[in-house]
Amino acid sequence: MSFRERHRIPDLGVGVGFRPKHAKDVLDDGGSPHVAWYEIVSENFMVDGGRPMDNLARLLDRHTVIPHGVSMSIGATEKLDAGYLARLKTLVKRTNAPYFTDHICFCRARGLDLHDLLPLPYTKEAIEHVVPRIRHVQNTIDKPFAIENVSSYLTYQSSEMKEHEFIAEIAERADCGILLDVNNVFVSAFNHGFSAEEFIDGIPAERVVQIHLAGHMDKGAYLLDTHSDHVREEVWKLYERAMKRIVPIAGRVSTLIEWDTMIPTFDVLANEAKLAKARLDEAVGGALP
Amino acid sequence: MKLHDFQSAFAETLVLPEPIAREPSWVGGGRLDIYREQFWLRHIACLVEDFPLLAALLGQEKFDAMVAEYVAAHPPTEFQMRVFGAKLADFLETTPDRLLADVARLEWAFIDAFDAADAPPLDPNVVAQIPEDAWPSARLVLHPSVQRMKLLYPAHKMREKWRENEDARPIARPERAPSNVVVYRQKFLMYVEEMDDLAFAMLDRIARGEALGAAGDALATETGRGEEIESRIGEWFTRWSGLGWISRVEIASR
Repeated sequence: MSFRERHRIPDLGVGVGFRPKHAKDVLDDGGSPHVAWYEIVSENFMVDGGRPMDNLARLLDRHTVIPHGVSMSIGATEKLDAGYLARLKTLVKRTNAPYFTDHICFCRARGLDLHDLLPLPYTKEAIEHVVPRIRHVQNTIDKPFAIENVSSYLTYQSSEMKEHEFIAEIAERADCGILLDVNNVFVSAFNHGFSAEEFIDGIPAERVVQIHLAGHMDKGAYLLDTHSDHVREEVWKLYERAMKRIVPIAGRVSTLIEWDTMIPTFDVLANEAKLAKARLDEAVGGALP
Repeated sequence: MKLHDFQSAFAETLVLPEPIAREPSWVGGGRLDIYREQFWLRHIACLVEDFPLLAALLGQEKFDAMVAEYVAAHPPTEFQMRVFGAKLADFLETTPDRLLADVARLEWAFIDAFDAADAPPLDPNVVAQIPEDAWPSARLVLHPSVQRMKLLYPAHKMREKWRENEDARPIARPERAPSNVVVYRQKFLMYVEEMDDLAFAMLDRIARGEALGAAGDALATETGRGEEIESRIGEWFTRWSGLGWISRVEIASR
């Protein structure tokens, strides 16, 4: 039985990141028929009250919400922050989400929080370090946890394997889900000259609980993962490839459009979600529901 | 190198204000400096968003330089970027221009009031049932959004004027004029209230948990204005309740 089946993780359809700029569209005007669910940045709702918590309450009244964190720092060698996990547990419980997600990276070192998703070296040592931490997080929160591949701008001399092999081994050994960020795969593949297709084909399909799509910025010598634009055609093609591989094995999987800077009107975002649904339908056709 | 050493070296590099001249030997490919650049862009943007008037007042170059000094003194240690600017007003108090510290303190109060815990408004029916002789021992619990501060410069008036046209330059510096200011939230809207010294001193004692009678007595001794306090206490209670500052009255058990 696959990870998704064991944990009854549903296909939610295509969702978008909830941003305060769209509060009126989503909370007052009901959102869009093209947006089936919403992702929230977990840390934005680890506050005591006011508008953010009211927005969350209203969002939960009508929509499915998945918490997506950016600060767990699962790969750091510093201790996991028990206070953070307690707040996350409260949030996950409040949202009644079927699972929660964060990134396979580190954010903390030397007592600092760098507020970034910093890459890990792909080593056995890192795997041995991360696996028990994921198990601890999953046990503490008492919900399935999925790790997301990050976009990166450097590689380590000491890496011993490819990124998708690293993630696959961690997910298998920690028995967690995978949030496959297709844009991140594309950005990192371009920056480091590896095959994005090989990455997509190497991820264990039965563990993928969600796909992320976003726009990035071409800085000439490298691509920067800015979530500031429409999804590029090359990323759409990679998305189709991922879905063609995943859907026959594990069924349809939820998709999320991320747009965090230069945030457009809600109509533009909803249209991107509509496009994702169309690309998915076209890619998998009459494949499994 | 062990995992811990990579992460330590990574973090050490990110907080450097200057570009990295040579890639460290542990970097296989790509550029570590992209992360360093992003660290600074992200943290500067965070403070610009939280302290827009301060940023406008200083201009980009001086603001960026100030952030570099602030990071050196108070590097980010909390997972929430929301609290990164929490020490900025205190940090600026160590610099010669006290207006900057006042502006930062005011703008930070808006951040703290914005997502402070919710609390129901004071129920007039409950207040009406409090026996008159219970009031001296009563403690007033302030709404969590109420932020009190003493300013040397009227940064609140400066902010109000600036918000009429945020693009106007230069921004006029106000004359030094000490004031007592409260920033608070009603429902989801933010407000500023200026108070005279006596009312502010009373509010301060209440915020510290002193019972009404003890607070009034102590303030009367301190200022010699006992009669005025007695005559204004009702007016203050009505005003502060109306503004939503008081969320609860705690009566001492008999």
